[in-house]
Formats: sequence, C-alpha cells, structure tokens
Amino acid sequence: MTAKRVSLTVNGRGENIAADGLTTLQQVLREALDYNSVKDGCTQGSCGACSVLVDGELRIACLLPAGGLQGAEVTTLEGLNARNSTSVIQQSFVEHSAAQCGFCTSGMIVSAQALLDENPAPSRDEIMEAISGNMCRCTGYLPIVEAVASAARKLAKGDGA
Amino acid sequence: MKAKAEMDGIGGGGHAVGQPIKQRELDSHVKGQTLYYEDVKVPRMLHLKIHRSPVAHARILNIDTSKAEQSDGVVAVLTYRDVPATKVWSHFEAIGAAPGAEPILAVDKIRWKGEPIAAVAAETLSQAEDAAAKIKVTYEKLPSVFDVDEALAPGAPELFDCWPGNHYVFPDDHKAAQIRFGDVEKGFAEADHLVEHVYRTRPIEQAPIETAGCVAVPGSDGRYTIYTNSQALSTTRNSAAEIAGLPVARLRLVGGTAGGGFGGKVDMAIEPMALLAAMKSKRPVKYRFTREDEMTVSSTRAAWRVSIKDGVMRDGRITARHVITHQDIGAYLRNSIYGAFKHASHMPGPYTVPNVWADVYCVFTNRTPSAAMRGFGVMPASFAIEMQMDRVAKAIHMDPWQFRLKNAFRNGDMKAHRREVWDAALVETIQAAARLTAKDLPEEYRQMSSAKRPLSAPRIAGG
Amino acid sequence: MAEYLLPDTLAEAGEMMAAHGRSLAIMAGGTSAMRCGTCRGRRGRGIACIECAGPRLVSVPNSAYVMGIQRLGLDRLEADNGVLNIGAGVTMRNLAASDMPAALCQAARRVGGPALRNMATVGGNIFARQPYGTVAAMLLAMDAVPVFTGPDGSREVALAEFYTSGAIAAGLLTHIECPHPQGRLVFVKCARQRFAGPTVITVAVRIELETGGKVAAARIALGGAGETPLRAEAAEQLLIGEKLEAPAIEAAAAAAKAACAPADDPVASAWYRRRMVGVYVARALEQAGEGEAP
Ligand SMILES: Cc1cc2nc3c(=O)[nH]c(=O)nc-3n(C[C@H](O)[C@H](O)[C@H](O)COP(=O)(O)OP(=O)(O)OC[C@H]3O[C@@H](n4cnc5c(N)ncnc54)[C@H](O)[C@@H]3O)c2cc1C
Ligand code: FES
Ligand code: FES
Repeated sequence: MTAKRVSLTVNGRGENIAADGLTTLQQVLREALDYNSVKDGCTQGSCGACSVLVDGELRIACLLPAGGLQGAEVTTLEGLNARNSTSVIQQSFVEHSAAQCGFCTSGMIVSAQALLDENPAPSRDEIMEAISGNMCRCTGYLPIVEAVASAARKLAKGDGA
Repeated sequence: MKAKAEMDGIGGGGHAVGQPIKQRELDSHVKGQTLYYEDVKVPRMLHLKIHRSPVAHARILNIDTSKAEQSDGVVAVLTYRDVPATKVWSHFEAIGAAPGAEPILAVDKIRWKGEPIAAVAAETLSQAEDAAAKIKVTYEKLPSVFDVDEALAPGAPELFDCWPGNHYVFPDDHKAAQIRFGDVEKGFAEADHLVEHVYRTRPIEQAPIETAGCVAVPGSDGRYTIYTNSQALSTTRNSAAEIAGLPVARLRLVGGTAGGGFGGKVDMAIEPMALLAAMKSKRPVKYRFTREDEMTVSSTRAAWRVSIKDGVMRDGRITARHVITHQDIGAYLRNSIYGAFKHASHMPGPYTVPNVWADVYCVFTNRTPSAAMRGFGVMPASFAIEMQMDRVAKAIHMDPWQFRLKNAFRNGDMKAHRREVWDAALVETIQAAARLTAKDLPEEYRQMSSAKRPLSAPRIAGG
Repeated sequence: MAEYLLPDTLAEAGEMMAAHGRSLAIMAGGTSAMRCGTCRGRRGRGIACIECAGPRLVSVPNSAYVMGIQRLGLDRLEADNGVLNIGAGVTMRNLAASDMPAALCQAARRVGGPALRNMATVGGNIFARQPYGTVAAMLLAMDAVPVFTGPDGSREVALAEFYTSGAIAAGLLTHIECPHPQGRLVFVKCARQRFAGPTVITVAVRIELETGGKVAAARIALGGAGETPLRAEAAEQLLIGEKLEAPAIEAAAAAAKAACAPADDPVASAWYRRRMVGVYVARALEQAGEGEAP
C-alpha cells in the first residue's frame, strides 16, 4: 500500500505531502514541514497546543487526518505572524505577561485570532469559551483573557489595522 | 506601560524589586519561535519505548526480549544488563547522600505498576511500541500496600529487605526528619485546650503541557549531547554519568527551555535511559513521555498524612505544637528526603510557638514514586497547619484572622529550627487581605506589625 | 499503514465499503477515531483509554482503509413535514448555530471546545464512547431514528433500539430522522468546568404535559450513565399522570439514579456519576416544569 500524495497550501505556500490514513496534520506540519509553532502536548485533542486554521476555521491538528486535506488552506502561527491583527494580539500577550513557559501560547494565539476574525467584540465569557479547548498550566488563564480583551479593544479602535 | 529599559529588567539600570521585568523569551513565545528540545531535529534519530510492569509488586522470574529484538525497525533492546549502575536513579543516590536502591530498569523485583523493565529503540515510535509490547516478563506476584496505613500495619508486605516496616531510615540512623524545640509536654500542661486532628492530601500530577522528553546524541569525539527539558540540568548530568558509567566531562546537556515543569521535570527520569540507548545503538535516541506516560508513570506529588496536636490558651496563644507526618513516597526514595526536610523545617508554620516537636517519616508504598511539586513538602505542611489554625480558632471561639495575627511570627522571634526571623510580613499580609475583603479587624489588630517585639516582651507569640 | 479513501458520492462509498468489508473504517470528524488511531491501544497499556475501552464499534487502528465522508453531502440540516432531518456529517458547530430545537443546539454547544466542534460530527457522536455521546443523549430523548445505507439498501432503526441491541453500525450512517419534538425539551450537562469541561454525565428530557399540567409523555435520556446513552424508563413511567412537582420529580430522580450503571474514569467515579444522575435529572425536570402549565 502506498502513502497517498496530497496537495495543499500551508501559510501561502503550495506543498505536496505523503499521508497514509492515520497521518495527522500535526505530523505533517511538525515533522515534514518544520512548522515548530505547532506543539504536541497530548496527541489526543485535549490540550489545544496544536491548534491551527484550516480554510480559516480553527482545527486540532493532532486529530485531523492529513489524507483528507487535498486543496485545503492551512495556516499556522508562523503564517499569522505577518498579519497586523495577530501582532496586536501578540503585543497584548506581551503586555499582560500572558505567556510563561510559552508551550500553550501559539495555540492560544491561533484560537484568539479565530475568535476575533469571527467576533471582533467578544464578551469575557465568549473569550473564555473561545480558548476553552486550549489548556495552560502556567498562567491561570486570567492574563490571557485580559490580553485577548485588550487586543479586541485595540483592534476596534483601529490600532493595528 | 513602563519604559522599555525597565521592562527589560535589571540591565535597564534600575532596581529589580517592585518593577515589572519582561520574561526573556516572551517575544519569541508569542510568535511561536521559541525552540524547545523537540524542535531540535537530529538526523537518523531513533525512538524509545519502555516496557513497563502491569503489576504493582512482584518478583521477576524471567525477562524475554527475543521477539522484540526481531521486530521490525528495532535497533537496540536494553535491560538491566545494559545498565552499569543498577542502583542509582536520583541525584541523592548518585552522590552517595542516600543509599542506592532504584534501578532505571528493573533487575529482580517490581515495586510499582509502571516500573520500567526494558527499553526498545527503533526507527519509528510505532515500531518501538509494537516491539515493546512483544517483551514477555514472568512474575511471581506479591501482596501490595497502597497507602501509609496499609504500609505501616503490623505484618504488612515490605518493599525492601533493608528497610523493615517500610520506613525509610535517614543516613544518621533516624527514622524521621525531626524538629525539637522547647518542651511540648510542658506546653500542653500549661494550655487551656488541646486540639488534635489528622490531615491528608492526595497525589497530584504536575501535568506540564509539554511532557518530559529528551534527545541523546552520540558525538564523534566520544561525548554525548542531551537536548532536554529537564528542570535540573546539572544534577541530571551527574546522575546520568553515574548510571552510564561515564566521566561527567563526556556529557553535555542542553536545556533551559521547558514547556512547564512544576517539579515534574526534576526527576532525571528519562535522560539516563536515552543516553544508554544512544550508547548501545550508536544513534541519536529520542525518549519522550506520551501524555499517558506523563499522567500514569511520571512521579507525582506525594500523598501526605499530617497529625497535629496543639496546646492553646483561652486568649489565643499557642503554647505547643506536636506534629507527626507520614509522607507516602511511593515505591522509591528519589528526592523525597528533601521534601521531608522542607516539611519539617516549615513547622510550626509562620507562627511563633515556644514548644515544637515534629517527626516526618518517609514511608514506602507500591505507588508511583513521588517527587517534587511546587513547594516540595511545604504545601501539605501549610495545608494541614492552616486547616488546624481554623479548627483551633473555632475551638476557642476566636476569630480565625485575629487568632493568626496574634500568633504570626515577628522579626527577632526564634523559629523552631533555630533561625531568627528577619523578614516577617505575615501580619501586614493578613491586614492587607482584610482591607481588600472589607474584613473588620479591631483597632488592636490593625495596629499590629511584624516589627521586632520590644525587649521586655517575651519572645513568644502574644500580639 | 492504512490508506485514506475519499469518495465523492454515496455510490462510490458503497463500492468501497463492499470491496473492503471489515478492513475499512469510516472516518467522520476523526475526533474519536484519530485519537484511537494514533494511540493504537498501545500507549495507554494498562489504562482505560476512553476510545478503546468499550467492547463495540468499528476499530480504526487495525483497518487497512480509512474512508473520509466529508464529500458525501451528509451535512444537510432540514425540517419538513414535521420531521427533522440531520445529516450524519453535520458538525457540532453547525448544529449549535442552526434553527433546530434549542435544547439540541445547546447539547451540540456543550461538546468540547470550539476547535473540536468545528470537526466533531453528529454521526460520530452516535457511536461515541461513554461518557461522551452528549448529542446522542438528546437525540435519544427525541425518539430519533438513525438511517444507514449498506450493501442491502437502507435500514432504519430507532436509536433506543440501536443502543439496546449492541450499537452495531449497519453500514454508513447517512442521517438521523426525528419527529418534530412535541412538548418541552431540556438538556443539562454536568462537568467540572463551565466551558469544554469533560463530561461527568448528561441528562436530556422531553416532557409532554396535558391540560391541568399532568405529564402525558416523558423521555429521560442519560449520557455517561452506562455503556451507551440510555433511557431511564422506570423514571419515565413514574411521571405519567403526575404533575411536575417535588414529589414526582424526586421519585423519578431516585428511580433514574437506581437504574443507571455508570463507570469509573479519570474524570469521575461511578459513585459520583450516580449521585449526579439524581441531581441533574431533578434539575432537568424542574426546568421542564417551569412556566405556564397548558
Ligand atoms: C478533547 C475532546 C473533548 C470531547 N468532548 C466531548 C463531549 O463533551 N461530548 C461528546 O459527546 N463527545 C466529546 N468528544 C468525543 C467526540 O469528539 C464526539 O463524540 C464526536 O461527536 C465524534 O464525532 P466525529 O465526527 O469526530 O467521529 P469520528 O471520530 O470520525 O468517528 C467515531 C466513530 O464513529 C464511526 N462513524 C462516524 N461517522 C460515521 C458514519 N456516518 N457512519 C458510520 N460510522 C461512523 C467511526 O467509524 C468511528 O468508529 C470529545 C473528544 C475530544 C478529543
Ligand atoms: S497536541 Fe493536539 S490537542 Fe494536544
Ligand atoms: S504558558 Fe505554560 S502552559 Fe501556558
């Protein structure tokens, strides 16, 4: 049985990867394509450290079969780094010390970006729900919620647009 | 927002205390550019899987690795025969501060469910997993003990021949870490009330989001480089060298960036194993705990049983505190004596008590060996003490805030382990908490401070 | 190694299933199947992984073929002629945002976090290991009927019967049909966190009241209280002809608690789950009894 080839776009670049039935997007991104922002905290969908966007929607890369991603557009934090709105979120994370060990951080920022893309003025509860699939053992979440709220305010004022 | 120089910390020319200091890796964290050990890619790397014991207590009759050796992709299979020092795990064992007992691969006995028995290094992780599952171990099962009550019961099964009754014996032939200060019996005799209770905590997994892991890489010069997320680089280097029978100079550990640890990565659980596999296979070897490993076989915070007896006067002065603690350290010692000493020296808590007696035991059980977690030994001490403070306050019908303020230590007081207090802040902290929570304190208590008591006042609690 | 197949039509899917038989596993969102696939039953040796602990269902890790169903057009959500028609491939996110009955949308919203809801499907939820099956429990209370297509054409079986008969998938689940629910629907989930909390138990009820406020029909479905989502039939019976007030509610809650058979897992003990069944059945019934009696 041969591994199937799949063509997809990652962070704007065309890629052609080999994937068997159980190859995950996380494996492809970390091992084949060296996107190190995609972390592996559990390999079972529980921690959110591998969060990425697929066609603009939030996904858990460690549970996503790469075999089904023909033609998909995948965005990791590396790809978001160029976006203005992401840098506003990142600046807020820095200002609020919302990252300590940093291992959950890329997933958190991808989730925050997915939230703000859909809902530019989230309530506190909406922020908490939006990052509820991302675990953080260091910060106690409060600085993260505050960082996202402050990024939303800044973006609404047009600070980073 | 502070000026950039200040945010950058001490280098900015100002003082560090009271100033926000920017975490060094913050900018790279938020961009996903921080390099963790796993982001270092090494060519021709093998993956390690451990075959572990499914039983908690047993004698090993036979270990058969033949099927694993023939399994696809397998490069090396290791058992205790490949381990130069089979009685060293922890730093204390490596430097001779504790008698050696724990093998990194079991030799003839299993003392906990999950104890490592053999290691398989293979081209891929699933090949290593497949092969590890083919290792056959024959056991003669033994009865087991799962908490201190069971372990200390008369006639209980014993884990070690050298430690009868499952009591660890400290090097100077004491069964316990001890504190002796004043005369507790005299203190109890003087007291208006005696209040006694037992407090227990359960094991907790530190659960960092990045699981423990490392990559050991053989170099052409006979040196080995280990990329690791250990919280204890230098002690890990010492124990790994000791276990592998190498001069320390032949090991280079690269670390410093960990995706959380909380005490769970001080254990040297993985580096020696990866090193030995790299030595045997002559290839780089990655050994990484899966999330399941992290939750089931990595060491946890211990379970503690703390019995406290206090003597207290009607006016709220504690006259004596007597503590007996049993730390359920699990199947092996690892760093538990350190936790026991910290627990003992934390007694009687941040309070000035003239008569203190504490015995802190380490007890072996057939549980996962325990280790550090955030305030090793101190958290269970504080938990028990503060629960007891509430209980005593209730017994003498005193407000628990006032009761604590009255007994809180002051600068110049003598602590039970004979260090003078010089940086006390408990009184001010409680007062600040009262202000923040709109707790009403009488004037007398609002006026208290941690300042040295006047010379005429006795050096014991009394407000 | 398994090969990933991605059929474009139901006919093509049918051919693949016929050709590969037991060596083919169906993959919807993959949120259970991939977990099981990466673990392969080996990582968690000695611990009960929630995906492979149970006795039933298609085994993904050992299959030679994995078939993705995202191109089969199974993501339709329709309500016509008094029947709700829910495609097996509808994601939790889309169900939560739909105009389906509010309690069903709430159930979908209580599955995992947002990323998971973007992936997890209703079809996959029907097969979920307990204590999962959050939406399945709600559908059970709504008398839903899963519809399968297989080599011998399509087959319908009431969800309640599907579970009591061993929860064996008869081919590909295409959609779930369900009469437009009469009466009041309530969904409650017990978890230790407000958002994305792992399930302790779930309770879904449907109550029809007759004039005078007496119960004419009752469905109480429990998630996390047995090997599959299950109906608390004894409790349902106790409610018939009663008003939804304290004595009847307490009796029903006690009956549900007595009849369930929850399991221990790292999230909660069987002991705690059983107690929570009592508490949450009572809460759900109280909620169902709120407002004007007909
Ligand atoms: C972190 C996390 C949290 C979770 N929280 C919850 C929760 O709160 N509540 C809950 O209910 N679940 C939860 N789950 C479990 C799971 O996500 C859901 O049950 C989900 O609905 C499964 O759907 P899926 O599409 O991902 O199924 P898959 O994983 O793709 O499939 C699951 C099983 O169903 C079979 N299958 C799927 N679709 C079909 C079909 N159309 N025909 C025949 N067979 C089919 C597959 O072969 C497989 O055996 C959680 C999972 C994770 C990882
Ligand atoms: S690594 Fe994917 S969710 Fe934890
Ligand atoms: S910053 Fe360490 S886990 Fe979130």
